[in-house]
Amino acid sequence: MAQLSGVAIPGLGQAAPTAASSAPAVAASVAVHELQANSEWRFEVAIGRSIEVKVLSGTAELFGTELALNHTYTFRGTKAAIFTWHGCRIEVTGACEEYTAEETPMVLYVNTHFALEKLRDDASKGKGESPRVLVVGPTNAGKTSLVKLLTAYAIRMGRQPMVINTDSREGLLSIPGSLTATPFASIIDVEQGWGSSPTSGPSPVPVKLPLCYYYGLPSPEDNTRLFKPVLTRMALAATSRLSDDQAIKDSGMIIDTPGVVSQGKGGYDLISHIVSEFSVNIILVLGSERLHSDMLRRFSGYRTTTGETITLVKLDKSGGCVDRDDEFMRQTREAAIREYFFGDPKRTLSPHTQQVNFDDATIYKIREANPMLASFLPGGEEDTELELYEKVEPSSMILNCILAVMYAALNDSQETIRDATVMGFVYVAEVDEKKRRMKILAPLNTRITDRPMIWGSWPEATMSLIG
Amino acid sequence: MADSHSSRLAYGSPSDEVAEDYRKALEDLTMNSRYEISNLTVIAKENTEHALAISEALKNHIKQTSPAKKLPAFYVLDSVVKNVGTPYTLFFGRQLYSTFMEAYALVDNNVRRKMDEMLKTWKEPVPGSIDTRPVFPPEVTRPIENALIKARTSAVQAHQEHLRSQQQLMGRGRPIASPAPYRNTPTPPGALRPQTQVPPGYASGYSQQQFPPPANGQQYSNQMNGHQQYGLPQQPPSQHYSQPSGSASSWQQPQMMGYRAPENSIDTLNSDIANLITASKAEFAQNPWDSSIQTRLKALLDLQTILSSQKLPPDQIALIKDQVAQLSEASQPQPRIQTPPAHPPPPAPVAAAPPPAQQPSLSSILGSGALAALLARQSATPQPTPPAQSVAPVRSPPQTRAQPSYNPLAPPASSSTPVPDPNSLLEKLRAAGMLPAVPAVPAATSTPPLPIGSLVGSVPPGFPPPFINTPPNATRTPLADVPNDVVLKPASLKIPRPHLISNLYERLGSPCTQCGRRFQSDDEGRKKKTAHMDWHFRVHQRMTEAEKRGQHRSWYVDELDWIKSREVEEDQNTSAADIAGGPGAAGSVTANEPKLQYLAVPDDPALANSICPICQEKFEMKWLDDAQEFVWMDARKIGDRIYHASCYAEATKDGGNSQVKRGTPEPILGKRKAEVSGIENRRL
Repeated sequence: MAQLSGVAIPGLGQAAPTAASSAPAVAASVAVHELQANSEWRFEVAIGRSIEVKVLSGTAELFGTELALNHTYTFRGTKAAIFTWHGCRIEVTGACEEYTAEETPMVLYVNTHFALEKLRDDASKGKGESPRVLVVGPTNAGKTSLVKLLTAYAIRMGRQPMVINTDSREGLLSIPGSLTATPFASIIDVEQGWGSSPTSGPSPVPVKLPLCYYYGLPSPEDNTRLFKPVLTRMALAATSRLSDDQAIKDSGMIIDTPGVVSQGKGGYDLISHIVSEFSVNIILVLGSERLHSDMLRRFSGYRTTTGETITLVKLDKSGGCVDRDDEFMRQTREAAIREYFFGDPKRTLSPHTQQVNFDDATIYKIREANPMLASFLPGGEEDTELELYEKVEPSSMILNCILAVMYAALNDSQETIRDATVMGFVYVAEVDEKKRRMKILAPLNTRITDRPMIWGSWPEATMSLIG
Repeated sequence: MADSHSSRLAYGSPSDEVAEDYRKALEDLTMNSRYEISNLTVIAKENTEHALAISEALKNHIKQTSPAKKLPAFYVLDSVVKNVGTPYTLFFGRQLYSTFMEAYALVDNNVRRKMDEMLKTWKEPVPGSIDTRPVFPPEVTRPIENALIKARTSAVQAHQEHLRSQQQLMGRGRPIASPAPYRNTPTPPGALRPQTQVPPGYASGYSQQQFPPPANGQQYSNQMNGHQQYGLPQQPPSQHYSQPSGSASSWQQPQMMGYRAPENSIDTLNSDIANLITASKAEFAQNPWDSSIQTRLKALLDLQTILSSQKLPPDQIALIKDQVAQLSEASQPQPRIQTPPAHPPPPAPVAAAPPPAQQPSLSSILGSGALAALLARQSATPQPTPPAQSVAPVRSPPQTRAQPSYNPLAPPASSSTPVPDPNSLLEKLRAAGMLPAVPAVPAATSTPPLPIGSLVGSVPPGFPPPFINTPPNATRTPLADVPNDVVLKPASLKIPRPHLISNLYERLGSPCTQCGRRFQSDDEGRKKKTAHMDWHFRVHQRMTEAEKRGQHRSWYVDELDWIKSREVEEDQNTSAADIAGGPGAAGSVTANEPKLQYLAVPDDPALANSICPICQEKFEMKWLDDAQEFVWMDARKIGDRIYHASCYAEATKDGGNSQVKRGTPEPILGKRKAEVSGIENRRL
């Protein structure tokens, strides 16, 4: 998730070394690039690699966040782009795939920002509602990058937008599998995706405070029975915060979505769900004519709870958007999990391991909606009989999995646990079935067995964090 | 200054010819004659098409001519760059380092002093000029400065070593080997009496030949704006101080000052220092965590100790006096926030680490301004200060800072400040590039026999950014004032609106050099920026500490807390809370919750589960934005144990009766809790 920055804009080939041959250029050592006004330097740094970038003169911004002059920024395992409105000179140290693009949809994007800004101004004067923006579009269309850009611009102008992530494929200030709501009042960490959630120590870039829910599956359609209520709950919390917090209320919300919801009927229903739960009044459709017309059909004449109509805008996809292959995404997820426990290069975190007896742990495994089963049901109705979670005893199956520790009590109902927010994540480092205990990696040294834990299949168990 | 001299050179003549003529004219320049220097300047001015050839000729002349003639030649260079400017600044700038340093190595201390003065003026705009850029860009002058500082620092150390051995050998006797007389008058060195110490080659002729007062009595002075170099005391010379020479003093700066009778000086000095200490203490009380104040205070206390316990050579006393006088003058923080000079985008990158701050920031970083003012003594001059930013790490502050320990006269530091060693902290910050490496207070403590003026003077008050790439700050224009006609319609969105882009850049003010965040240049913006820079400073400070302690990801907040929480601008919530948020600190005061007592959640797992010994209840853990940490509210550490502050207050209120319980006393429940936490500990 930290690599969200990669999301779409920037791109070129794949970061994997195997794809290097297809790259337009492989820069080495120190290079100085002269960027014309309104051009964009797009770069890809392979996972495990890093480059240093310094703006020597001019102005430059990365996904909307202005870069300081002569400050060395380090980028690791990311696909991103540095854009300049006035022209700039940048010094790049290290190898990356890169090229400079003259054509960008930035005028479109920045105008969108100013249009939103006007709505915010109006809202603070009591004229109309502040913008609650939903960004939809196919996978790899640059949705998250656009969300980040609009967020960064709003922050720069002193706003405090609330950013909602409904894409469990990647986390936002959390690990994949989670859904978060985060008010942004301070500068976005350009080197570290969206920045960091609080730690016990100081942070060079102000930390952000996400409210975290757990979905635990990669696609919303995997289990809409779980996805929808969690979203509803998150919308409730976010709306409560908005009604309490004038600064955020005036700034509005920006909602990111998974690409899969933009792919057809089932997904459109989820979009409708999000629109109604968050009282969305603006939908930005990124890079798809068809989606735009489908959305028009679906939402023309629609009124939000406050009686507004929905403004639908189609925006061009950036030429820098690039497909991120499964391997890159997997590595990105790993990096996000690693960062959650161990921090980033700027700040090392020390997680704690603890032994937990099987009998002390309360673990609920998410049931995945069984398409076979669903197909037997009349009218595609979902099986409402089945419980959301299955209480399981730890086994070797759980090795290397992530568990979400919920803000709930052990004897709470499944619905309560579902609606609860996440206290934190733990990682199962060892399972000893004979001795019936497991070794758990937790961010800090606190008892976790007094809370229910949810075991999802996402992020998948693929690696060993402690090796 | 117009002169017929220039007619000697035919226009359009080949560059070689011009250069040759110029070279010849230079050869004739044997003294500091304003007349001749003006002539040469005019020639340069009228032949800018041959600027390259002329500058080469002058450069070569400086290189080749005898040490005695180097200074007048430098004055020509100085005059040309100040009166003509480009392209000469460009041509001279290229090799200024070698030109300057090679000459510097060969000339004697008097000339060096002149060169120091000259160098100083190069870092400032031409006096009286509307152009606010320095004569030479900082990237040209900085390397020279750095080299000089390095050399001086080592010289000082060596000198002090030398001095000590001398004193050990002969008591208070002064070596007479090679006395170099010094005067504090700003008159040219030519007026000096012969010196015996100069190397044989040109020694004899030195004083007579080199700078005899020119016939017309006028001398070229690069101090045309009449400002005085710091370090020059105003007292008339009552005696000459003969400086011991030694191998170490070859780089040494002249002790060009005379001094008063030591006793007098010392008395005034002592009272001055005492006053300063009082002021600093008051300041310290207000900002107990401001390490700059601590540093300064410590330095002053050290100084006081030195003065009371040692008999210092008069020259050092004079220097200290000067420093102290300036410190007193600068007692008021000067929030000299200037919009940075509007420069066109520079072609050249800035080499060194980015300065931590812009104009207002130094004073903000270094606390309420006094230390900054110490560094910025020149800020009183109305001219915009030269952007000699990025003086940072290369300035080898450690040596300078370390001087007290080299100073044989320095007694062990008598520190009354609670923080063990602010110096090391500052040093770390410097190493981290957080603070400009500035030879700060210790300059006053260690009393190096340097022309501190040239040293400190080179540090402008605020380290403005070298060049501001964006247009100069417009006055704040709310977005509403700018026509914003964008609507969420495809046609409207497609129209480029460059005027709106400025809302994201220059209209937001000037950027923070650390993170690029922009701040308005109005009062409020400046205040915010100051707080912001303070925040950067504190974070860097605390990050080093945190690294040692070990840190971890915090739990996410729960729904209710999240809904109730507010995004306060981390950096705008100034000192109080944050300052007290440090480990073990308690008793902070915030605006909202007066007398809020909290404690950072202990990292020690044994302590992390501790309960209040009085009420047997756990502590309320809370994320405190100000402290950027999870804290226990209402907690206070007494000895090894952590109590509820309220319990403790209550318990101690009535005669230390520690049996007083908070709330409903339930010893049994409390006991159970304690057991639970014990189990927890074991399990973890």
